[in-house]
Amino acid sequence: MGVVFHGTSIFFTLESTYDALIHLFFGNHYANNWFETWNYSWYTGFTVMGYPPLVHQSIGLLSYIGGLKFGLFTVAIIAIVLFITGIYRFALLLSSNRKVAGYTAVLAVFSSAFIETLHIFGQLPSIIGLSVLLHALPEIYLWLKIGRYVYLINALSLIAVTVTSHHVTPIFGMIFFIFPLIGMVLMDVSKERVSTYREIRFVIFIQSFLSLFKRIVGFGFGALVLIIVCILPYWINTKNNPITQVPIPHGSRDNFLEVTSSGLVFFLIPWGILLLFIPYIWYRFFSKRYLFFGLSITLLTILGTGGTTPIPRMILGDNAFDILTLDRFTLWASIMALPMFGEFTYRFIEGDIKEKVEKNYGSIYYKIVAGVCATMLLAVTLLTMSLGYFRPLQPQKIKMLPIQNFLSQDQHDKWRYLTLGFGDQMAWLSAQTNAMTVDGNYHSARRLPELTTRAVERLENSKFRGVEGIGSLQQFLTVPEKYNLKYVFSNDKFYDPILYFCGWQRLRQLENGIMVWEKLNVPPLSNILPKEEVATFQRIMWGLIPVSTVVLAFMINIRWIWIHALKTKSKRFPVYFKYGILYGDFKKYLLKISYIWGILILAIAGNGLYLIYIKSVKQISPIHVTEAYYDALDIKEYKRAYSYLDPQCHKTIDQYMLEIAVNDGLLSSYAKMDNIKVSVTAKTDSTTKVKAVTHWVTPLEKIDKVYHHELVKYGKKWFVKPLSYDLDIPPDQLYTRNTTTYYNHGRRRVSSEQTYHEDVLKQPVLEVLSAKIVEHKDQYMIIGELQNIDNVPADVVVTGTLYNDKSEKLAKYNVKHQMKHKLLPKEITSFRINFEGIAWMNIEESKPDTFDPNQFTSLDFKEVPTRFNLQCAGNVATVDLYKEVAINDLSITDNHIEGVLFNSGLEEVTIPMLLISYYDQNHQLVWIDHQYLREGIRPQRKQYFKYTLLDVSCVNYFDTDMKNVFVNGLENTLITDKVVPERKEEHKSIQFLPINGKGFSYIKLEVNTYIGAPN
Amino acid sequence: MRLFRKNIIFLGSVIFICATSIAFTTFYTKPKEVSAKLVSTQKVFEAGETISLDFELNTPVKTTLFLHASFGSANIDPVEPTTTRFVIPSFIARKKGKISYKLIYESEVLVKGVVDVIANTRTEVSLESYIGPPSIVAGGKDYTMHVVIPTDAYDNPFPDSTVVAIKHQFMKVENENTLYSKDMIAWKNIFSYKQSGRLLLFSKVGETASKEFSVEMYSALPEDFVISSDRKHVYADGNQITELSTSIIKDMYGNVVSDGTLVQFVIKDASGAILQTQGSTLYGKAVARVLHPDHKDTWQIKAYVYGMAESNELTLSYQPIIDDFEVKFAKENREIVVGPLVSFMQQLIPDGATVKLMIFKEQKKIDTKISTSSNGKVRFLLKDGFYEAGIYDIHISALGVQKKYKKVLLQ
Repeated sequence: MGVVFHGTSIFFTLESTYDALIHLFFGNHYANNWFETWNYSWYTGFTVMGYPPLVHQSIGLLSYIGGLKFGLFTVAIIAIVLFITGIYRFALLLSSNRKVAGYTAVLAVFSSAFIETLHIFGQLPSIIGLSVLLHALPEIYLWLKIGRYVYLINALSLIAVTVTSHHVTPIFGMIFFIFPLIGMVLMDVSKERVSTYREIRFVIFIQSFLSLFKRIVGFGFGALVLIIVCILPYWINTKNNPITQVPIPHGSRDNFLEVTSSGLVFFLIPWGILLLFIPYIWYRFFSKRYLFFGLSITLLTILGTGGTTPIPRMILGDNAFDILTLDRFTLWASIMALPMFGEFTYRFIEGDIKEKVEKNYGSIYYKIVAGVCATMLLAVTLLTMSLGYFRPLQPQKIKMLPIQNFLSQDQHDKWRYLTLGFGDQMAWLSAQTNAMTVDGNYHSARRLPELTTRAVERLENSKFRGVEGIGSLQQFLTVPEKYNLKYVFSNDKFYDPILYFCGWQRLRQLENGIMVWEKLNVPPLSNILPKEEVATFQRIMWGLIPVSTVVLAFMINIRWIWIHALKTKSKRFPVYFKYGILYGDFKKYLLKISYIWGILILAIAGNGLYLIYIKSVKQISPIHVTEAYYDALDIKEYKRAYSYLDPQCHKTIDQYMLEIAVNDGLLSSYAKMDNIKVSVTAKTDSTTKVKAVTHWVTPLEKIDKVYHHELVKYGKKWFVKPLSYDLDIPPDQLYTRNTTTYYNHGRRRVSSEQTYHEDVLKQPVLEVLSAKIVEHKDQYMIIGELQNIDNVPADVVVTGTLYNDKSEKLAKYNVKHQMKHKLLPKEITSFRINFEGIAWMNIEESKPDTFDPNQFTSLDFKEVPTRFNLQCAGNVATVDLYKEVAINDLSITDNHIEGVLFNSGLEEVTIPMLLISYYDQNHQLVWIDHQYLREGIRPQRKQYFKYTLLDVSCVNYFDTDMKNVFVNGLENTLITDKVVPERKEEHKSIQFLPINGKGFSYIKLEVNTYIGAPN
Repeated sequence: MRLFRKNIIFLGSVIFICATSIAFTTFYTKPKEVSAKLVSTQKVFEAGETISLDFELNTPVKTTLFLHASFGSANIDPVEPTTTRFVIPSFIARKKGKISYKLIYESEVLVKGVVDVIANTRTEVSLESYIGPPSIVAGGKDYTMHVVIPTDAYDNPFPDSTVVAIKHQFMKVENENTLYSKDMIAWKNIFSYKQSGRLLLFSKVGETASKEFSVEMYSALPEDFVISSDRKHVYADGNQITELSTSIIKDMYGNVVSDGTLVQFVIKDASGAILQTQGSTLYGKAVARVLHPDHKDTWQIKAYVYGMAESNELTLSYQPIIDDFEVKFAKENREIVVGPLVSFMQQLIPDGATVKLMIFKEQKKIDTKISTSSNGKVRFLLKDGFYEAGIYDIHISALGVQKKYKKVLLQ
């Protein structure tokens, strides 16, 4: 039944789980290179010795039969079978009652913890490890009790399988499963000395302990040796490459009361229906025989509560607490509780509890309670199964074939790629292509300091990781040459602006809707990549031991399976059957406690629902309704937002939706609300004016915006008065533009040859007009201006290097977004290079709590740079050359510039960016600043902007020497002399806007435009 | 114990005897006097020819021939084991250059010498030819370089002074030059013409012609030009668009500048602010657009190709569309209706004209309301919840006209 239930459903759930595809990727690795321990596909290369290989190798082996996914599903089904039989044996061991064990096995199928681990997290190795451990427990018991070596060998062979499939399970399993088991054996042995458990005293217990001491030590030592030897390369690797990473936040470490979603996923769901029966489970576990299991389950439960109480951190210590994911403790606790739940069910359905309830409360009542319990069990199961459906954990399934084809065409796999917004499906892509990515999905294996110093699990989902995520991503996008990163596959338009402003360009959209972005001027990967060699003996151990443990365990235990399956021998009851108890003496007070507890839990659940309802009543006060309005806007529920609008303002929903639809820009298309503070500024009985201070997070910067609203009250409800919208009517209905567009064939001949000499375009010639180092608050930057002096459009990459007096290199970086990366012939741009360091190299350094994508970690200069080198590279650009935004009006007030931008062209500008250059009275460039406008500009419309002028009096500049400036590898001075020898120097000041500011005399404005959806 | 020592002595003496006998046999072999000389006479071969070397030995012994050539070194055996005729493998014999050989007998060099392999001019000529850069600037200063390496069928460069004919076509010009190769290559710098356009060229050695190459000649730096404007009317309605366009921009040789060249239009308005718009050229003509101002203004416009060329200065004046507008106060001055705003022909102004209302109380600005016109009108409401009853000053400005109302009483 379990196999049918899970077996059919995994086909729908497993692929969208968190981890399954990672295991698939590893499986693919072993299928291709069994003895190779180095994998180039992720993180610029990493060792696969960071994870016990059994499950991966099994997937790899099975993939030879029917492909990788076949391997994955087969292993998953094996895991289910192992789990159900394992829990049956465990229950049998504890209860000594076949019926109880049978009930337990049935309940295990529906155990929400198991379902969650398999269908939502996809942690196959952990399930297999646990299941095999459960199989090992009876053998351990028998060894300790009887002392026949065959049981020891059985037990150890199973432990070996556990070790090779998941290393954490046997280590903690020792503590939480095997120690209590030893305790139980001792109890049983002690009981033989006296007549009942009740008479067991401490002295007797110690005596039995001493009598079994040799066996315990023998087993313990054997298990320890196995743990070390079976995955020896893993331990060696761990020692050589200790995990020196910043811990990655995990929901299981949250305070479940504060972060209720984590509480739901990591506490409520795994416990599920068991929560109702906790008194019974605890009561039974604290009976003398199971006392040690009782202690163990208590400890597990407490550890499973994560950051809710300080106890887990105290027990585990800071280090272990930050590395371990604590959900596994809850999983183990709930698995451990299953036999008791099975026992209860047995007693409730056909045992003494049934009699008791029927006697006390009548049979109808019994039936109702039974019905309610069964319904709840099914409900929790279904809820867990379909959690992935209600709250999608992963983006929609992406067809990988177009991406695979793209990467294998035209040698695109000679560069690294990066996926954005793929979720865990990136592992599936990596398993299918030869191309490599800078990202990866197994964070313990990360090697680049850019990644390990930040709590960023993957670059791929960096938007969920705040400043660290976006900051890491920006570093990779700004200096892609360092990683040979040329292609980005974007499945989330959130990242598009950041890609554009970092100088990337759209290549095309693949058939599956994935947008391919490309960066020019990135060298391909070299043929030989660095790797860490490991000793041959380690490789052989790694390749052979895990599978051989399975073969061995299978051979040893096949006898047992044979006997049970075919009943060839007459059944002999194992010794632990002697210790079964008769169920007849169910305490009345326990029934009452259970009863009260059950009602209490239900009451808490009901209360929770009520609270959710109260929260959803939005229109009771002006502040609530404003917050609700922005919340609705934020998650783009415009219908709901409309429902908060003043019904008497005669705005139809169609009109409202239309107004929303024509709004594009950073704020309306790429922002996520971070928080909102609403305060009342003026108030009457039926009207209120509020000020809403909103904070938005966008891929480019953090935006604070203040809105003023008027609200009205009708009856008991408050409504927001709609803001006025732009009524502007453009002059032309239909208009035309003649523009120059470009197309570059790449290769004119269809050929797979490397580079056709005659098809290589000349690099556009650029000229750097000025460049200098500027210093501002101990930060050094390079600023300057350059012009495309060629006859073709250029994509410009500028790399700056700072040196000290002794010509030692201090820092190297590229221009990020403070430049127009695409230049038409004769166009100029200003640029600024910020030298970014790797954030928080020093773990003690405090991290900012709030999100600010605009912030960068500036490099810590140990010496003062005195010289610089600038390498500019031009490549022929053919896209993103929209220049039709005019500065139509300007006025200068105090320290502000206000103005109007007018878009006269055919494209809708999604994000306009202003580049502001500051000049001193000698017409020397002193500073460059930028500002993103929050709203887009539709064709033939205008957009207002306001820019606050900076105080640049504290900026110093030096080294204006241009002799180390190179363009396409040639000296800039040569270009200056040759291409534009008679430059009209007076043009320099044509765009200067005279302002008497602090530290500057003129400013110059330039506009860069990001077009989200080019026609 | 004694037995053990005996054994050691025995073993030691056996080893000693063996070692001495080996040493004697090694050092005291009888030297044989072997000598040889080259019989074949040809010293220079054309690539691809069979190179065979015959030697004569005084004693018939087995010899090998050690070769050293540009491809590397090799040790070859005679054609037949009993003879001393060696044939140099074709992969070495096809390569131009020197082949040094040593006839070796038991680590001893008997004869050594060198043969030369020269390019085989009788085979079909093949040409390796390059051009770069593929685009240059017109005017005669910039140039591209054509390089030709004539080779034989085995890829051996022809000897110096091989005649290479190079032809190119540019517009009506068809030019032919003769080059002589030197140090394996023949090359020529081809300077640009005064006109822009496409230059095609190829080269020829004997009967073999290279493929066609093309070099793009782009126009040189732009020269000064003239700008003009085109607008629908002269009024400052803040709605219509003024088109600014350049004359056809050419370089000093009269070539139209390449398409896409960016022209920056810089506009200085009456207040001294610098506005800008830009356009890229299409057949030398760049068009940029700018919205009419919404107030009376005079623009001085000049266009630039930054650092290279500029235009004349153009002055455009915009007439105000209204001198005055109507303001109606209603509902105890709490409703203010501005308009109808009428344009230059008394038509209603197109929607979207900005009207600004500033409210002062006791000389202090307390609020600014900005609204855009709809059907020529703008309506402001001053609600009593927010503006207490009292006396206010109200300033209304629209389309460059400002109206001030002092001491407005709000009930």
